Amino acid sequence: MTPDDPHDVVVVGSGAGGAMAAWMLTKSGATVLMLEAGRDYSPDEAPMLNMAMEAPLRGAGTTDKAFGYFDATVDGGWEVPGEPYTKAEGSDFIWWRSRMLGGRTNHWARNSFRMGPYDFKPHTRDGLGFDWPIAYEDLAPWYDKTEKLVGVYGTNTGLENHPSSGPGVLQTPPKFRVWETFLKAGGDALDIPVVPARRAVLTKKIDERSPCYWASSCGRGCGIGAAFQTTTSLIPWAKKTGKLTIATGAMVRNVVLDASGKATGVIYIDKATGLEKQARGRVVVLAASTGETARILLNSGAGGSRDGLANSSGQVGRNLLDTVGSSINAYFPQLEGRPRYNEDGAMGLHAYIPFWDYQKIAKGEVDTPRGYHVEIGGSFGDPGLGVGSGLDGYGSSLRADVKRRYGARINFTQRGEMIPNAKSYCEIDTNTKDKFGIPVLKFAWEWSDHEYNQVKHFQASMKTLIDKLGGTVVGEVKSPKEAISVGGEIIHEVGTCRMGPDAKTSVVNSFGKTWDVDNLYLTDGSVFASKAHKNPTITIMALAMRAADSIATRLRKHEI
Amino acid sequence: MTTQKPIVMIDRRVTLKWLGGAMVAGQLAACGDQAKGITWPEAAAIKAAGYGTDIDFQNINVPWPLTMTQVELETTNDLVDLILPGEDSLPAPSKLGVPAFINEWISAPYEDQDKDRKLIVPGLAWLDDESRKRNGVAFANAESSAQKKLLDDIAFKDKVKPGLEKPAEFFGRIRSLTLGAYYTTREGWAEIGYMGNTPGTGDYPGPTPEALAHIKGVIEKMGLTYTAP
Repeated sequence: MTPDDPHDVVVVGSGAGGAMAAWMLTKSGATVLMLEAGRDYSPDEAPMLNMAMEAPLRGAGTTDKAFGYFDATVDGGWEVPGEPYTKAEGSDFIWWRSRMLGGRTNHWARNSFRMGPYDFKPHTRDGLGFDWPIAYEDLAPWYDKTEKLVGVYGTNTGLENHPSSGPGVLQTPPKFRVWETFLKAGGDALDIPVVPARRAVLTKKIDERSPCYWASSCGRGCGIGAAFQTTTSLIPWAKKTGKLTIATGAMVRNVVLDASGKATGVIYIDKATGLEKQARGRVVVLAASTGETARILLNSGAGGSRDGLANSSGQVGRNLLDTVGSSINAYFPQLEGRPRYNEDGAMGLHAYIPFWDYQKIAKGEVDTPRGYHVEIGGSFGDPGLGVGSGLDGYGSSLRADVKRRYGARINFTQRGEMIPNAKSYCEIDTNTKDKFGIPVLKFAWEWSDHEYNQVKHFQASMKTLIDKLGGTVVGEVKSPKEAISVGGEIIHEVGTCRMGPDAKTSVVNSFGKTWDVDNLYLTDGSVFASKAHKNPTITIMALAMRAADSIATRLRKHEI
Repeated sequence: MTTQKPIVMIDRRVTLKWLGGAMVAGQLAACGDQAKGITWPEAAAIKAAGYGTDIDFQNINVPWPLTMTQVELETTNDLVDLILPGEDSLPAPSKLGVPAFINEWISAPYEDQDKDRKLIVPGLAWLDDESRKRNGVAFANAESSAQKKLLDDIAFKDKVKPGLEKPAEFFGRIRSLTLGAYYTTREGWAEIGYMGNTPGTGDYPGPTPEALAHIKGVIEKMGLTYTAP
């Protein structure tokens, strides 16, 4: 089939949510047309073992490639030429986009932490934000299926609000490295857990995908299929069914409805020709990313109405959330001069610090209502351009200093839950259009004291841990307001089309179906009702799998 | 460069340097920290194209022209080898292409590199100028002892000679770039003991027995409990 033919389902987006929907639907026998704004991509082109010295500027990040020369991102970044976004006065928000098949799954950190029972009912627990219309138990089987399909390493820790996966679901995690073992000793003494992380990286072969070979940053893309991305898994699998058609360079502008109010497809700009085209399907699934999905809906209003489509609740674009981020670096003299060995490992977290203070929150003993986890980095990695930071003088003593200090530094990165607030949202900027003539998004953003207090809790806790291990903080610990990330910076934006119990207060039901249009579904991060501290991708995929299963059933029954 | 003294020794190398210096002077507009008694010219802007947002990794190249003058390169050459002198089997930075890297870096059409360019190009000019004032010759032509004496005024953060804060900032930056460029080479990896970027099969082997015994000792000496991974 070609993109001009009507398909059963039109899926907008090829990242975590779009590719999962496409795989599930093609597997069930439906024909799917996938529209991707960027170019075709396969990690066969990933520069997996190239040394930094082969790259211009030793691979340092630039405005062309913010995460470095070898990062997988194609035609993306904080700014995309010809595709601006604007900010409300006094707001700072940055928006990462990847214009390529597979979207942001090509370079994500692969951290895959399940949301727990508390995370689905935050309002019930503390009166803030919104509950999800489903409980953890509703999603648990879908997490199991997703984790098994994707391939996730980790262990079941039994810790509060960090649920276990089903038997045989998780793959064996890689061993702790020396500095992680060191950190665990400090954590054990303070009752701060340092436990195996969960990442979507294979340690055992599944299907045609190889296990990790313990080298090459996952962010470059993984040509051997070990680090999960949709371009080595869901998309090729969906293609193999013979039911998937992909149109790349297809920038979607709006959803099209018929007179009865049913979606019949979408209008997109074919970048190669500049022509407007219509994609037609019985069902439309938007998984274009939290920002782009809201933008498409808001640009789909009847007669150009600014209210947009599927927005009778007025919630499209509201509740914009990102992860609370901050970090502390510390230097540990006790790690100086330790024996060398290869610490590359899985090129990411082997261990992490899950949130541990839920009991104190319940008792009102800490002034932050929601938790965070800590991602830790250290290792004898590629020394990189930063190897000389903190050094002084010149001459042969410098060589000794570099060697002594190598592998003695650990950075602690906070990843925390933000509570929805009325001042963080996106809307259409009626004065600005992109190069395709599509009105762009304007972002408004504000953190609240909840988030600042959480940063304070993180800083104090890490300081205690660093002290326990005889380390010193590198640089000054900034005030929470200075230390906190810029909105969007952690690239975990979710929430702009939240799910809920009814059409009055939410955009979609728990299956991602818009309340207002019976055959229009959303399967990306936009549907999140809250943003737990857990990285969102695995939850996006579990929700998309559950939604697609429901769509497939309804298609089979000819309900849509 | 307006305060440069006449060059005494005239040989071909020096002439080239002098010509190079004149070229630099042409590129640079004097300004800046004159009040502090140092010459700190402004570096010309870069207008080249970058490598773009869609890289062909089969054809990696540096698309922008390199902008350092011969004089700047020679000064850089001496400077990086003073920062990290070669020793026995350990090559000096100039032997590992570090000056060329710094040239590539300060010639790049990106924001961060532009900041460094505005620090490094005038910094190199200052170094020559100061050397001429003190020793009557450009930095690269000065005796190594005289070069070190000059660096002693800017290389140690607690002992920066008053008024030379800007040159000290320049030195700190070029030191950082030198170390970064040096230790990202195979020779640098071998020296520092980086053993990665090597694909393996089977499970991740984890720390060696020696590395574990060491950290166990460290942990227990601190009165903490060691847990084997």
